[in-house]
Amino acid sequence: MNNITLVLESVGRGESKATEELFPLVYEELRRLAAARMANEAAGHTLQPTALVHEAWLQLIGAGERTWKNRAHFFGAAADAMRRILIDNARRKSALKHGGGQERVAIEDLEITATTLDEHILMIDEALQRLEAEDPQKARIVSLKFFGGLNNEETAETLGISLSTVKRQWILARIKLFRLIQEQNG
Amino acid sequence: MMPETQLEEAVCLAALHITEPVLRAQFLNRACAGDARLRAAVEGMLRASDAAESFFDNCRAAVDVSKLDAQAASALKETGTEFDDLTDEQLGSRLGRYKLLQKIGEGGCGVVYLAEQEEPVRRQVALKVIKLGMDTKSVIVRFEAERQALAMMDHPNIARVLDAGATEIGRPFFVMELVRGTRMTKFCDENNLDTVQRLKLFIQVCRAIQHAHQKGVIHRDIKPSNVLVSLHDGLPVPKVIDFGIAKATEGRLTNNTMFTAVEQFVGTPAYMSPEQADVTGLDVDTRSDIYSLGVLLYELLTGRTPFDTDVLMQSGLDEMRRTLREKDPQLPSTMITSLQKTELTLTAGRRRTEPPKLISQIEGDLDWIVMKALEKDRNRRYDTANGLALDIQRSIESEPVLARPPSQLYRFKKLVLRNKIVFAASGAVALALLIGLGMSTWLFFREREARFHEQDARERESKLRAEAEDRAKITQAVMFVTQGKLDDADAMLNQVKNFPLNPTLDGASALRSVGEWLALQGRWEPARELYSALVKMDRLDSLGQIIFDYQAFGVVLAESGDLEQYGNFFQLAVTNFSENPNASILIASLLLPLNETQIKILKPMEAAAEKQLHAIPRDRRSEWTFVPFCLWQYRSGNYEATIERCKNALAQNVKFPCSEAIIHAVSAMAYFHNGETDEACSELTQSRQLIDEKFKSGLDHGRPGSGFWYDWVYARHLAQEAAALINCNSDKSAPE
Repeated sequence: MNNITLVLESVGRGESKATEELFPLVYEELRRLAAARMANEAAGHTLQPTALVHEAWLQLIGAGERTWKNRAHFFGAAADAMRRILIDNARRKSALKHGGGQERVAIEDLEITATTLDEHILMIDEALQRLEAEDPQKARIVSLKFFGGLNNEETAETLGISLSTVKRQWILARIKLFRLIQEQNG
Repeated sequence: MMPETQLEEAVCLAALHITEPVLRAQFLNRACAGDARLRAAVEGMLRASDAAESFFDNCRAAVDVSKLDAQAASALKETGTEFDDLTDEQLGSRLGRYKLLQKIGEGGCGVVYLAEQEEPVRRQVALKVIKLGMDTKSVIVRFEAERQALAMMDHPNIARVLDAGATEIGRPFFVMELVRGTRMTKFCDENNLDTVQRLKLFIQVCRAIQHAHQKGVIHRDIKPSNVLVSLHDGLPVPKVIDFGIAKATEGRLTNNTMFTAVEQFVGTPAYMSPEQADVTGLDVDTRSDIYSLGVLLYELLTGRTPFDTDVLMQSGLDEMRRTLREKDPQLPSTMITSLQKTELTLTAGRRRTEPPKLISQIEGDLDWIVMKALEKDRNRRYDTANGLALDIQRSIESEPVLARPPSQLYRFKKLVLRNKIVFAASGAVALALLIGLGMSTWLFFREREARFHEQDARERESKLRAEAEDRAKITQAVMFVTQGKLDDADAMLNQVKNFPLNPTLDGASALRSVGEWLALQGRWEPARELYSALVKMDRLDSLGQIIFDYQAFGVVLAESGDLEQYGNFFQLAVTNFSENPNASILIASLLLPLNETQIKILKPMEAAAEKQLHAIPRDRRSEWTFVPFCLWQYRSGNYEATIERCKNALAQNVKFPCSEAIIHAVSAMAYFHNGETDEACSELTQSRQLIDEKFKSGLDHGRPGSGFWYDWVYARHLAQEAAALINCNSDKSAPE
């Protein structure tokens, strides 16, 4: 038994505290699911945000819930939670590799190997924090799509904007972020 | 976002659509003509575009195949276990001072264990672990806030909540007095209790709830499984459990419960009051418990809940809310009549009777008692659990009950209320307003709700408590009134701090009885206090009753000498009855001399009354019919017309001493102003004789026609006004 639907309702009514309450709930569930995956697979486990987020939805809410508003709030919180998990994970691995030190990665390396992908994630997160201040809507779209694994339709639903806006802003947001990353690392 | 950024983005997006390089360059030339800065910015964006896309595609893949290493996995795992249940292996283990002995139940929101407390006293208790799994801190904080109030509850039919805490893995738990009993409905059925036995048991439950309410504790989750019955010395004793728990685990009662754990919550939605089912679900007071008590009574009587749980759950959230908010349940007797034959026989058998007898037991009083408790509008429910208990007691003793079938007018009002959105939207103005104000209104409500939520919970709680106490006192006063102990009722009402602004029928009737009782003794000051509260509270009564109350209030004000309040009263009467202008209110407004402005304000009401007069057939007219017009002409300063009107009135066939006394007094004053002192004195004497005679024989409530008490006081007031004006030689003593 949990009170997530209740919290979702409260979020729907615009209670700011409820948003704060929602995050840890979703976060815990996502972590739990991730951990469960780990236990079942011997090695080389994959974390797919899309699958995890949707599974968390079923776990926490169940199939009975139909109101899209709730889904939207949930997705919003799930994307934030997923972002935190991915960043924590990337930090941990990155720290292991570099002996605990944080190292800047040159922009040329960005295009290359999978070995630095965790750093990429960290870079995106860092740039995203700057974008959040400048252009919150774009930042939110990136967060939902990139970290939350939401598709365009779900993103539009979550933010209450049109599909075409999502598509346009996503293209622009990518460009903006990329240039921010270039700035950071150049 | 700055406008130039928007322009850059728009040009960039458009350019991206043009894949052919030459065409794209041409487009940029035109779009950025003469604006080098724009051109540079857009080209910078376009250059980054491809790289950005592939970079994100790469990272996307990185996210999807992100490999968790062993350390990361174990870090995740540490927090991943807290959702597992307490298992039986943990029996014998300890939670703080409590040792878990045995699992004795599962359901509702958690698992209940039999536990042993070792200090300060060794005893067995029930320990309920809440399955919420999160937010333990705030559950405990809320419980702590309620703890003092819970500790104050001391009632043989309430199981005490002793303690609360958190398990090792962070779940909240509650420790309660151990109650070994059967859920109330099951107990009644198993023991074949007849209707009266059931009602008596139910009254005990009401008393327990009343006790809690007086201590400021609302249960919020009254249902059969929370009322356990066991036999003590061969007598069934109900005990209400889980007090304070619904409050602490706030929200459990609203909508979510049935969707997350259907099997655990069977029974709950059926017991939920409309305001609890409401989206906000925040505004719950003692009367929500009254509703749930109504459902419990319904089930005890009929074996069914007013709305079928299964149907409620299958209908979906919104439909369920709508049902609870709008749909009127079947009368209990109708419900029984509609049962299938086998179920009907079974239901009657469990109540040791035959179907027709069962139906006739419930039909009438019990029907209306249940329906009054189940009112959608909580202002129309019983004010208190005690009020409900008293009405049931009256029905057992075949005394008249307070509950009554709704009037046609009330039904119509409800219909309009239900469809008010449709009504409003059909008007163009309303529609324009909706569009124009929709957004700001929405923001306003959002803001307001947020603030409401922030509001200090304790403050709200203490307000609720004070309101509950005041309501309880009013109910107590109602009881005294029904027992004829009016001085006790008066003393009780004196203790009420704030009369509730919410209109209630019970409260209004108590204030009315005591107010009249005081007025008959000439205690005008206290009577004035009660009547001024009454006219605010009696909005639910019939129009006729409200008019009576206004008439009495006006007289009480005039007698208490509170001229300022009489001025307010005059305004209030004119405003409130602008849509129902009537002769009685006109009379009440004409008791004291009026200034020109007041005359002007009153003119429409006089015109409406005049119109009504012509609608009354000649043979149905009495002196009373003409009283307002005599007064109107006199207060307007038309003395000739007044005398004419008075003569006309006195010539009617249907006469009453009271109206006659009024007319003589008015005509006396008009003659005097006309300089005809002899006639004036003769009229005044006639008026006084009638009044003296009445007051000598004693004032009582009175009857229509011959005059209610306030009509007579009104007449006396006018005669005194006349006596002060006219100096007759043959003046005897002024009327008492």
